[in-house]
Amino acid sequence: MNEISADTSTDMSGEGPMTAASQGLASCHVCLKLADAEQHLCPRCGAALHLRKANSIERTLALLFTACVLYIPANVLPIMVTDQLGQPTPSTIIGGVVLLLDMGSVAIAAVIFFASVMIPSSKIAMMFYLCWSVRNGPPETVRQRTVLYRITEFIGKWSMIDVFVVAILVALINLTNLIVIHPGAATIAFAGVVMVSMVAAESFDPRLMWDQRENNDE
Amino acid sequence: MVFDIAILQDGESANCSRCGHFLSSYRADETSRVIAYTSSALILLVLACSYPFMSFQASGLESLMTLPQTALNLLHDGMPALAFLVATFIIFLPALVLVLILALNIALHTERHYHWLRPVGRLIYTLQGWCMVEVFFIGVLVSLVKIGHMATVVMGLSFWAYALFSLLFVLTLSGLDRAQCWQRIETLSHE
Repeated sequence: MNEISADTSTDMSGEGPMTAASQGLASCHVCLKLADAEQHLCPRCGAALHLRKANSIERTLALLFTACVLYIPANVLPIMVTDQLGQPTPSTIIGGVVLLLDMGSVAIAAVIFFASVMIPSSKIAMMFYLCWSVRNGPPETVRQRTVLYRITEFIGKWSMIDVFVVAILVALINLTNLIVIHPGAATIAFAGVVMVSMVAAESFDPRLMWDQRENNDE
Repeated sequence: MVFDIAILQDGESANCSRCGHFLSSYRADETSRVIAYTSSALILLVLACSYPFMSFQASGLESLMTLPQTALNLLHDGMPALAFLVATFIIFLPALVLVLILALNIALHTERHYHWLRPVGRLIYTLQGWCMVEVFFIGVLVSLVKIGHMATVVMGLSFWAYALFSLLFVLTLSGLDRAQCWQRIETLSHE
């Protein structure tokens, strides 16, 4: 049983449900336990305890800039090199999508385009917007912005599809003297973009947006 | 926001009234369900690693690929970091998370307290976001379509084992409720 918990229907102030932060309680990021915010470690699972994630915005922004820098080599360098009859042909992410379109595989071109181009870039843009909106966003959109955050959190790892496709093709298409596929330098940069932006989404604390609305109400 | 989720009945779930996000659901048979999923998933992963995954035939030549080779061939091609990441995301981390979930749920099911319950629980919730089993499987389907027109691709036993494994993996993680799981650990450590 949670010793410190309040039912939403039996709120104590008479002004709607209360928040834990207003009661000096912090929710553990790992086990969701509510504990006295003065403590440094969660009494239930032993993880570090914070009222809000520490330096959330600064950390998220730093990671987002890192992802932007890595995004350049990920798109400029070849993601794989097809060695057909001794003739190596490097191809970039966009080049691969164009090639698929030329071959008529529209559906697959769309999947790769979404996973490798749309998701990483829109995720980075969305996270920048969320960081900005903590201070300056319109308070009435906070619920929509929370949904936006959940989406960025969910789609993050799906961008790895292209890296896995390269790994599979490298392992599968290995006919010496006929056709061999080698991984390109962009793969590691691209994996970097995906991982760094996953950590960025994790270090962002969506409750900061709700805090802003509460401060405005007062 | 503060909610009391200790009042949930079997099959019920709770959502946040402010942002609408799912909070917790309660199932009386959660631990036995999770034990069944994880143990079958682990067996399937062993199968998936030991049999051919897919084969590729063109101009009378054939090349065969196994699951560990997706990482090993990257290593041979001079990309050790990428090989490590691929192996970690699709084999090592999922296997580790499953073993930890299995151990934790056996302890919860038999209602025995061990001193490792808390660190294991923490590890599970830290690592599970980095398992990319279902992403890899979609990657397999994409590569199939990508090369399907230029050669004959035959799926091996390991392909089907991994397909089933990813399904069970997703079921395991969605069946494992964070709030309920920690509440059980807490109850055990107080006894």
